[in-house]
Amino acid sequence: MLAQAVPIVPLVTPSAKDLLGLLPELILGGGFVVLMLLDLVVPARRRAWLAAFAFLFIAASFGACMWGWFDSGSGRALYFGSIAYDKYAMFINAVLLISAALVVIISPQYLNRRGLHYGEYYALILAATTGMMLLAGAMSLMVIFLAIELLSVSLYILSGFSRHEERSQEAALKYLLLGGFASGFLLFGMALVYGETGHTQLQQIEAALRVSTNVDPLLLAGVILIFIGLAFKASLVPFHTWTPDVYQGAPTSVTTFMSVATKVAAFAVMVRVFTYTFPAVYAHWQAIVFLVAIASMLVGNIAALTQTSVKRMLAYSGIAQAGYILIGVAVSPSEPLGTIGVLYYLAAYAVTNIGAFAVITVMAGRGEDLDSYAGLRGLAYRRPYVAAAMGLFLLSLGGFPPTAGFFGKFFVFAAAIKSGQTSLALWGIATSAVSVFYYLRVALLMYQRPAADQPEYQWSRSTFGGSAVLLATTAGTLVLGILVTLVYSAAAAAQGALLPVAAG
Amino acid sequence: MNVPWLTLVIVIPVGAALLLQVVPRNLTAAVKGVTLLATAAVAVIVGVLVAMLPHTVGSDQPLTFHYEETHAWIPGIGASYHLGLDGLSAWLLALNAGVFLLGALAVSRRSTERLRFYCTLLLLTEAATAGVLLAADLLLFYLFWEGMLVPLYFLLSNYGGEKRGPATLKFILYTVAGSLLMLLSIIWLYVNSGARSFDLETLITSSGPAQAVIVIPGIHVPTFTPQELVFIGFALAFAIKLPLVPFHTWLPDLYEACPPAALVFFAGIVSKLGAYGFIRFGLTLFPEPVNHFKWFLAGVAVLSIIYGALMALSERDIKRIVAYASISHLGFVALGIFSLTQNGVNGSIIQMINHGIIISALFLIVGFIEARTGTRDRRQIAGLERRMPWLYAFFLVATLAALGMPGMNGFVGEFTIMLGAFQLNWVYAVLAGGGVVLACWYMLRLHQGLMHGPPAALVERVRDIRMGEGLLLAPLAALMIFLGVYPRPVGDLARPAVTQYVARATGTPVLPAVYS
Repeated sequence: MLAQAVPIVPLVTPSAKDLLGLLPELILGGGFVVLMLLDLVVPARRRAWLAAFAFLFIAASFGACMWGWFDSGSGRALYFGSIAYDKYAMFINAVLLISAALVVIISPQYLNRRGLHYGEYYALILAATTGMMLLAGAMSLMVIFLAIELLSVSLYILSGFSRHEERSQEAALKYLLLGGFASGFLLFGMALVYGETGHTQLQQIEAALRVSTNVDPLLLAGVILIFIGLAFKASLVPFHTWTPDVYQGAPTSVTTFMSVATKVAAFAVMVRVFTYTFPAVYAHWQAIVFLVAIASMLVGNIAALTQTSVKRMLAYSGIAQAGYILIGVAVSPSEPLGTIGVLYYLAAYAVTNIGAFAVITVMAGRGEDLDSYAGLRGLAYRRPYVAAAMGLFLLSLGGFPPTAGFFGKFFVFAAAIKSGQTSLALWGIATSAVSVFYYLRVALLMYQRPAADQPEYQWSRSTFGGSAVLLATTAGTLVLGILVTLVYSAAAAAQGALLPVAAG
Repeated sequence: MNVPWLTLVIVIPVGAALLLQVVPRNLTAAVKGVTLLATAAVAVIVGVLVAMLPHTVGSDQPLTFHYEETHAWIPGIGASYHLGLDGLSAWLLALNAGVFLLGALAVSRRSTERLRFYCTLLLLTEAATAGVLLAADLLLFYLFWEGMLVPLYFLLSNYGGEKRGPATLKFILYTVAGSLLMLLSIIWLYVNSGARSFDLETLITSSGPAQAVIVIPGIHVPTFTPQELVFIGFALAFAIKLPLVPFHTWLPDLYEACPPAALVFFAGIVSKLGAYGFIRFGLTLFPEPVNHFKWFLAGVAVLSIIYGALMALSERDIKRIVAYASISHLGFVALGIFSLTQNGVNGSIIQMINHGIIISALFLIVGFIEARTGTRDRRQIAGLERRMPWLYAFFLVATLAALGMPGMNGFVGEFTIMLGAFQLNWVYAVLAGGGVVLACWYMLRLHQGLMHGPPAALVERVRDIRMGEGLLLAPLAALMIFLGVYPRPVGDLARPAVTQYVARATGTPVLPAVYS
């Protein structure tokens, strides 16, 4: 189709109501500035204060989100249709903020021990979270790109945060270079979609696609390129190659944050763009998403089998989990359970994966990461509660009931079967059975007695903050696995009020 | 006041497991006391519930549950917290409470290190298996069914023999593969039933699954209807758990590696759950596929009987002999179910209870012998009769019960199953009868070899079982004799429910029961 003439929008200032709708992002963005300034006055020994301030900003932003959840009602678009103010964005925001809060709590102890306690750490976490939240609410291709850059640049710095460690530097460089490529793909795809539809705003793109009868190959190329850009952020196969190296090289607290929050944000925008903006061309992108989902489940789970580093194993497991989540996108857009499944899975994945990484972070010894399988051996004898919590997280990742991971898988599989794509569910089932092997292998290791001649890893003592995070994630994993309806009904409400469809 | 008794059966062990976490690890007496108290409390509650269970069935419902509890769980998708007890599950629940009480009694500080962890896992397993037996909602059932593996995994991988690692992994991978297929089938049923509910009764009555002929996209197997494929998903999960040949290979390895105290409840109840699933879900949800496959499935059951018996004959390790004997006996249970006759299914339920009692006793005895002689090779042990007269007596009772001697409980179940098998086809009954003959052979050979003859070198300094150990075996032996001469309590309670199940599965008036 030809690009239509773009109507010139008269330049008016957005209303105060629009500004209020962005309150969660504004609080966090403000927190970023305040923390940068505070870093100048807080003495180096007292950097834990910065963590406390960051936590306060996150808590305030979370409060604003809760208010927004009720205030947004059935959802409306802000800033002339660029930003969505709906329950969907608020759901994702809540998951992101809880993840960020948990990471901020476990960070000071870990950073101190590793000698990395610099003030900008917390500011960067807030900046990245702001970008992710914007991404969750983005309703314009421009906002999507800006938000992705905001979160990416913050994460590039964070992954190279261990300044004197080569592996961390390598991770940052790898992430930066490949991330740059991915941004290029994304931008190119956006340009093509804009060229075809004449709009950058999702609402108008959706409307334009709905009325058009023939599908231009260039439009499809644009859709695919956008998918590639987002798939890179979500670490889906075959755009996953950076993941193990970056996860392993980055400081563990950063990996904790990155492995969860980036994926949540990437899937949030992927659902909004693909399931709700491009449903008219679903028949054309379905096959690719389908194949990527299967490839991620296969490659992630099989590669994880042979790992001997916990962080790399969790990286590959994260790739596989992304494949499962993608099932919810690959099913028919007319199936609401797909989106609900994605939301539930993201919440479940967030608590579980943060829990698993938090164990590695909290137990890390002075100056070195707890990374190899051998380091976990015999943990149950010395730290029975931590080992039990880790065992629970591994079981949840493996999808055992009654844990969060089971219901994440259950809902996406149910969506696949409901929309007639049983083969996707079958692939998911087959790879899940494989995954049980490597998750349980690590769990088994913790309960093995260390060999007599083997030097024991010097685990750290868990601090109050670390214990609190482990307790919270354990409780979350069980609550999401038993009292399912709490989050399920929220996810269903979020799906029901999802822009651009809900606004019509 | 309306007490949620069935919930208590699940909650008491979980609560006790949580309580154990605050009991100091070194206070082994307190740890064991809490465990015993919890399992005993559950046993008392279950005993009263079973004794007071009405023998009536409603004619208007597909199944008749008593003490029902229904609460909304995930209303958005129609999953509910629905528990119920009926004639099918009543005695199994009693067996469950019994074997876990026995398991709690059998554990001791000397035999088990890290007692608190062990007891926690024991209690959690009990809660999960009780949940499996009580759940009347498919999703809830799956939750317990799969959740059961979690404590079992830690139990098996932490305690037990040298080969426990690979054996545990094999068991978990086998069962997980089966259960995941069942999960797919459950979701398929839910999606296609039209009722949008996971409730068993709703799914049975909703017209959806009975008539739905929806081709599953991506799978083009022309010989099976979708409903048959879904049944296969369930059947694989249950066949692996039961286990039926050829899905049995995890069992001998695992039983060999499993600590004897844990085998009491592992062999006692866990393997019965597969058979229970076949009756509760297979017969009710899939009447046509079950009818369609019954010749094949009954054939597999007969194969299990013969194969298990032959393997028991060829083994030298006494633990593996009992494990293969268990496969053979569970083949009888499966044969009874797939005969799809009232006698057969009733016999299966009786056999499940009896087998639970016999196999617990046999494994306890094997454990005592291994602890005293230090070996499990049957050829290195002889003449225990003189050194261990008490053990000899108990072993004799268990042996006779296991080989199906009339007057012992093993006979009742096998006989009733054989009646059912005859009603299906006489060939099956004759072949299964061959299994009984083989059972005589391997059980008597084992008993004679271990007990009679001049004492072997390893047996010279062996002492008889202690009073505590004898008190573990005594109730089991008493039950073997009691249920052998007076089996009515089990049969009577199960029969109304069985009539309902069989009528549903066959869709025809049931054949009159011969046994009464």
